[in-house]
Amino acid sequence: MSDSQRDVLRVRDLSTRFFTEEGQVNAVEGVSFDVRDGEVYGIVGESGSGKSVTALSVIDLVASPGKITSGEVWYRNPDLAEEFRAERPDAVRDEFVDLRRLPKGVRRSLRGPGFSTVFQDPMSSLNPSLTVGEQIAEAVEVQRRARANPRSTRSRTQGYGLGKFLVDSLVPGRDYTGEESHERAIELLDQVGIPDPAQRAQEYPHQFSGGMLQRAMIAQALAGEPDVLIADEPTTALDVTIQAQILNLLRDLQQEEDMSVVLITHDLGVIARMCSRVGVMYAGQMVERGSLSDVFDDPVHPYTQGLLGSIPDLENPAPRLQPIEGNVPSLLDSEMGGRCYFADRCPKAMESCLHPIEMHDADAGSDEHEARCVLTETDYRPEEALPEGYFDGGDGDGGGGGRETDGSDPEAREEEVRADD
Amino acid sequence: MSLARFLLKRGLQGVFVVWGVVTVVFLLRFITPGDPISVIAPLDASPATRQAIAAELGLNRPLYVQYLDYLVGLLQGDMGYSYISNTSASARVFARLPATLELAVAATLVAVVLSIPLGVLSATNRNEPVDYGATTFSLVGISTPNFWLGIMLVLLFAVEFGVFKTSGRGITSARALSALATGNLDVFVSWLTYITLPAITLGTYFTALITRLTRSGMLDELGSAYVRATRAKGLPETLVRYRHALRNTLIPVVTVLGLQLGTLIGGAVITEAVFAWPGLGTLVINSITGRDWVVLQGSLIVIGVGFVLINLVVDALYAYLDPRVVSD
Amino acid sequence: MLSPRSLRNLKRELSRSALAKTGIALVVLVVGVAALAPLVAPHDPTAQNLDDAQLPPLGFSETENSTTTEVVDGEVQIVNETTTINATAEHPLGTDSLGRDMLSRVVYGARTSLLVGVLGTFIAGGIGVTVGLVAGYYRGRVDDALMRSADVMLAFPSLVLAIALVGLWGRAAYRIPDPFVLLGITPDMPASFVLPGTVVVVVGLVNWVWFARVARGEALSIREQEYVKAARAVGASDARIIARHVLPNALTPILVLGTIQIAAIVLLESALSFLGFSGTTLSWGFDIAQGRDYLASAWWISTIPGVAIVLAVIGINLVGDWLRDALDPDIEGEGGGV
Repeated sequence: MSDSQRDVLRVRDLSTRFFTEEGQVNAVEGVSFDVRDGEVYGIVGESGSGKSVTALSVIDLVASPGKITSGEVWYRNPDLAEEFRAERPDAVRDEFVDLRRLPKGVRRSLRGPGFSTVFQDPMSSLNPSLTVGEQIAEAVEVQRRARANPRSTRSRTQGYGLGKFLVDSLVPGRDYTGEESHERAIELLDQVGIPDPAQRAQEYPHQFSGGMLQRAMIAQALAGEPDVLIADEPTTALDVTIQAQILNLLRDLQQEEDMSVVLITHDLGVIARMCSRVGVMYAGQMVERGSLSDVFDDPVHPYTQGLLGSIPDLENPAPRLQPIEGNVPSLLDSEMGGRCYFADRCPKAMESCLHPIEMHDADAGSDEHEARCVLTETDYRPEEALPEGYFDGGDGDGGGGGRETDGSDPEAREEEVRADD
Repeated sequence: MSLARFLLKRGLQGVFVVWGVVTVVFLLRFITPGDPISVIAPLDASPATRQAIAAELGLNRPLYVQYLDYLVGLLQGDMGYSYISNTSASARVFARLPATLELAVAATLVAVVLSIPLGVLSATNRNEPVDYGATTFSLVGISTPNFWLGIMLVLLFAVEFGVFKTSGRGITSARALSALATGNLDVFVSWLTYITLPAITLGTYFTALITRLTRSGMLDELGSAYVRATRAKGLPETLVRYRHALRNTLIPVVTVLGLQLGTLIGGAVITEAVFAWPGLGTLVINSITGRDWVVLQGSLIVIGVGFVLINLVVDALYAYLDPRVVSD
Repeated sequence: MLSPRSLRNLKRELSRSALAKTGIALVVLVVGVAALAPLVAPHDPTAQNLDDAQLPPLGFSETENSTTTEVVDGEVQIVNETTTINATAEHPLGTDSLGRDMLSRVVYGARTSLLVGVLGTFIAGGIGVTVGLVAGYYRGRVDDALMRSADVMLAFPSLVLAIALVGLWGRAAYRIPDPFVLLGITPDMPASFVLPGTVVVVVGLVNWVWFARVARGEALSIREQEYVKAARAVGASDARIIARHVLPNALTPILVLGTIQIAAIVLLESALSFLGFSGTTLSWGFDIAQGRDYLASAWWISTIPGVAIVLAVIGINLVGDWLRDALDPDIEGEGGGV
């Protein structure tokens, strides 16, 4: 493996569950993927497929009632590996550390220099009552203080508590962020292409347009000089014309800064344009992964095929997902049977799909092309096809079918969408 | 809109409200059964005497003349002369104002200092004992009539333990604070024994209310997208809480405080009644029972103007906390 | 007026919130006691019996130690005397300074509080909702004029305005015959119940502003809805649109505010009767005031009615929280307290 092919992140069997009043929701189930140095890795899926929760799980920002229940997040960081090799041998493997086994303070200190995130809706992802410049300066300041005093950075406060907050509020001019950080914030705004950055830095989020705000969010994400930038639907909330600008910006910055980007989107066009490798998610699982051409040219999983159905070729992709008949399952644990979760919508569902399916190597494409589908092993045999309407009735719940799509509680669905977006 | 323009606009609205208050107070006299003369005049006064009194008071003039006269008087600080207490109304009212202000300020301080940390603690330790304690306290606090609370405090701390004074004001807070500055602790402590129970009595409702608002506001903010983004950029949790979430929580808290100011003043009136605190509240009650309308009018006007002024301060605070207010 | 979805939310919230259940239980208790007062009360609440004055509640029998000195055989001796005042089951919550049964007074006090609370809320709601809907629907000058006058109202604290008005207008009260006595079911109880009329009107007059603010906000957004525009387009009169389209769609927040306002008005009534500005002497606030003079010797006279107020108001507030959480009308912080 050449140097440029080294992994920076290896996610293994990550599972995240939400413990809601309606029951346990398996938002992410056994997801694994690798991200290499300097690549753009794409995760694609419909809304509710668990792709955003996967991103949040990697950076340990799953909020209650969600909880990461199992899995490993290996992150390449020789310094940390050295530091914890003696103390936590189970958390260190070569140059990699398992973030989930490291102390919480260490995980937090990696937000910024290790991983940073650009969220979907820039308008609600910035604090409305602080200036944009101040918020970016904060992100700079955290890392500045961390470098100045690595130990205390892992404390919860960095010496900043309620008392300081009160003093800062009452005494003008006293603040957490220093002059240097503000200057750096203006540089960053300039770098992401915001005109008149010194002036704009003093404005509040509501004075920015959506596209400008997303640029500011990206500037904020760059402040920590991250190894991995996680972009969670970065263009979904924006106008079509602005989307292209933001994607170009992300691509340019990725090359300038030589960082890895995990791009999460439901938009196949974005994936095709930006990514070198891609993972397809459905119902909390990764159902197919491989290089861009593996997944786009030789899709194995009927779900991926369905997604790509309307896209004639890579040069001219459709901007939006083609809807597949049926609904994304509710992900409620009690309603998930031990079967392929796509079987109820799959045109090629067979009896062998009624068992839990593992990831298998796919014959077509490169070595790393894998899919969670029986079709990797066998050809489709119409004589074993499930009868029409197998999943519609209420009698088949023993076999994992019988999920009512119309009668499912709308509240539960809302909950699950919120968990994802 | 700049901050100055925002405050100017609010100030003009405040002037209008003050004018409304004055007009309502002026008219109160005319929706009152019984005429003002019979309150002052001897019971056996002849019609001629009554005429003379009416002329002396200017009550025989047309209504609008009386109204303009009243307005002009007010602008000069003259609220009329009380023939019942034989002093000018403004002298009585302004003699009582400092005591009420002292009580209200003490109660507000107690409320703000206790409630905001309690609300934050409650929200950040959701569904833990401290949260249950804080929510129970705030539920009971907003449901307890403060005069009864005052009596219970008297029963407990004054009657049973004899720690605190149950009536009167002792010395002024200015003297108490200068005593503290000069190291005269005894004097300061004696002031504390007077003000503690009234301040707790008046402050409890607000402590409970702000705790409740802070808790629910913090919970909302801590679950919001920008807080998640702030955590994602690596900010320590304490900064996320206090620099981001708390600041935005305070915006609705301040709004509600402005709305509930009347409750604070009303609460001061009844607290004063419980503790015989020589402030505006006892003056209002005494002037009603003594049918001293001139003093009642003066008190109502001062309360109304005070309300408008404090609301201006609240508006300024609100604009400081929420930049969207002045820049939209 | 409540959609099936709202009803489902109410049920869901009720099933998962122990506080909501507690609130409903308390409210049912207080309403039941108030409605059936003559059946629940063991004694006539106004019957005095000076022989049984200041009896303590059950469980609080008091012993008084008094020490006197006597000269016996030329020597001074200290004599300890102990007198016991026994609580009796006949007066489970004790008696007041005139020997009236505390339990019966608390039971009848619930009637005053609830009647004033509910009637006052209806008056406040009637005025406030009308003003608010008109202001919000017409906007412009009408809105400015009405809402500025609401601002003027807010500048007078409700308690101050209420005592001023009661002080000016007097304390009119109406005697309402008690049906239980009329029908001969409880002949020993007071034949009529005193409703403090001025207080009911005054508490309504001083609290309408909150309803006006909420109703105005609702009207402002409802008037932009398509169905209102459609009604206007087909030539419906403004009055009809407000009554048939705006009001029904504004009811949810008004209902929630109304619940909170009952609690606020119960507190306001108790404050007024505590200060002596009421038309009835059968009121929790009045009894608390009575008991102040006996704090050292009979703490329960002031304490027990206060506990009744707190329980009733907690109950109403919990029901209000339940409605607010389930229906989510976004009216945090509206409505005054005492």
